[in-house]
Amino acid sequence: MEEVMDTENYVPAETAAAAPVQQAVYKKPKNKWTAKKIVARIFLYLWMGVLAVLFLFPVWWMVVNSMKSNTDFVAQLSSLRTFLPGNITEWLTSYINLFTFEGFLSETGSSYMLRAIFNSVIYCGITVFGVLLINSLAAYALSRIRFPGAGVITTLVLLLILVPVETSIVPQVVILTKLGLMTPSTRMIGYVIPSLVSPFYIFMFRSYFVGIPKEIEEAAEIDGAGKFRTFFVMIVPLSKAIFATVAIFTFMGAWNEYVFAQYLFSSRMDLMPLQAFLQMVNDANPKDTAMTMAALTISTIPIAIVYIFCQRYIVEGVSFSGLK
Amino acid sequence: MENTDAMVPEIGGQSADGQKPRAPKNRNKHYKLFGKDYRLYDTLIGLAFIAPALVLGAIFVIAPMVISLSYAFTDATMQTLNAVHWNNFYNFGRAFTDPKMWNALGNTCLFVVIAVPLQLAIALGLALLLNKDVKGNTFFRWAYFCPVMLSLAVTSFLWMNMLNEQDGLFNGLLTAMGLPAQRFLDDPKQAMVIIVIASVWQGAGYQMLIFLSGLKNIEPALYEAASLDGANKFQQFIHITLPSILPTTSFILVTMLIGAFRLITQPMIMTPTGLPDVSGREVTTTMSWYIYQQGLTYNDVGFSSAIALIYTVFLATIALTLRKVMDVKN
Repeated sequence: MEEVMDTENYVPAETAAAAPVQQAVYKKPKNKWTAKKIVARIFLYLWMGVLAVLFLFPVWWMVVNSMKSNTDFVAQLSSLRTFLPGNITEWLTSYINLFTFEGFLSETGSSYMLRAIFNSVIYCGITVFGVLLINSLAAYALSRIRFPGAGVITTLVLLLILVPVETSIVPQVVILTKLGLMTPSTRMIGYVIPSLVSPFYIFMFRSYFVGIPKEIEEAAEIDGAGKFRTFFVMIVPLSKAIFATVAIFTFMGAWNEYVFAQYLFSSRMDLMPLQAFLQMVNDANPKDTAMTMAALTISTIPIAIVYIFCQRYIVEGVSFSGLK
Repeated sequence: MENTDAMVPEIGGQSADGQKPRAPKNRNKHYKLFGKDYRLYDTLIGLAFIAPALVLGAIFVIAPMVISLSYAFTDATMQTLNAVHWNNFYNFGRAFTDPKMWNALGNTCLFVVIAVPLQLAIALGLALLLNKDVKGNTFFRWAYFCPVMLSLAVTSFLWMNMLNEQDGLFNGLLTAMGLPAQRFLDDPKQAMVIIVIASVWQGAGYQMLIFLSGLKNIEPALYEAASLDGANKFQQFIHITLPSILPTTSFILVTMLIGAFRLITQPMIMTPTGLPDVSGREVTTTMSWYIYQQGLTYNDVGFSSAIALIYTVFLATIALTLRKVMDVKN
């Protein structure tokens, strides 16, 4: 963790190189530890610690209470043991309950939790793959290929990013209905397809492609490579960073999407992605808070993994959107 | 990445062989359009590259705007999409005299006015703390950032369960300390405050990260020079730190405002009824949620579109005013 969270990762690429130099030049003489300074330091740590507790305790409570049975959860609620995990023999109790949870359907033998995870993975996978392919191709055409209409489309893309339009899902549903993508069997397509194209991602890809030297493509063309080949063999490997950034942001957006999913799949528990399925777990009768905590914990794990291992790309993406 | 690589020969071969032979000299056919010279090969490939985005964008980005705009003047409902009639400004008349819409707008503004400055201040405060040269910085940064990893739905369900009247953490602790149990999310007076707290708790770490990278970019030489001139820490903060991070701040402010005005997930999950108070006024129904309800719960697409249009104009006015104010400041 120490390595991943290295401070240098927080500095945008171009300043990262300059930073050590500045530090070398402006290195202050070693501070003397006066009593006043020590007291100030202690208060600073106390204050930061209190804040850390405030930010961490709900997450801690969530994870810890997923690791006990619901009976224990209720019994320990009014004592400080509510902040400790249960008996080691019961750590998995609520998780087992969760994976055998039947919700409002009672089709025994099938795990709806497993199905919800599977659905989420499928929806996210298709979304990420589609977003990367469609938006990068469009951006490449807009930045590197001369064809009539390119200028108009570029302006349109920029305009769509700048204008804040209240895009509720109501007109989306109207269009999906008209396209026949709201029937029970086509809803899965209707859930994924509206998010595949994004003016903002086109803009992000375009800004990146513009910075790649033109000579690379000219050389490829002299060698007889077509634009398709040039794009996939030369440009994509050169642009790994931007592909990773867009993939991560798309994945997090798709994994965390809730409102549209709970509308589309409210009557189809077998098609629900994880976030919508949480509602089913939360509404379980009789109420099982420990099991709910287990569901919340599991649905957070993939995002946590992405944040821990892809810090660099996230910070790059954040600072990029800051430049907009 | 393996997938895309595998596709190269197939797609490349198909279009290059189908449209034009592979050799480069044959790609040099040119044509003129509106007095400009284009290469035919480039045009075909360019259009092929942009076609998927163009088609999907037209259907799922442009068309929803057109639908919102035009259906606002019709009696469209979800069941009668094929028999839509103009009813001119009827929906707008209804909207402006609809106390529920004004209530939803009021609730949203209340949330924005409390949550945005609070979150901005907390995020900046945390970033300033982390910017100090303190041992264990990494741990604290992770700690403050941790809630960002939770989705809005997870955040809502978590807080909802912590604040549950019978089996919740807070009432458990309150009764253990001999204090009266609270109704929390069932109490119209407390619900919005809780939604604000949960949202700020979840979101602050993200803006903290942006602030932190802004603070790290300030030249240490500026502070050096200021302290040589005898400026104290507070003066340094006012005259160096704040002006340096002003562009970052305005960016964060704008994105946070847009996000806050779109509040829907948290109240939808935490207070499914919208929580009517004694007079029947729903205290947590937000504008986005009201638009959603009218369109998808009551299937009244026309009315829903009209409110969405009013809201868009409202948001655009705020965005433009903000931009003007910031331009003056910068």
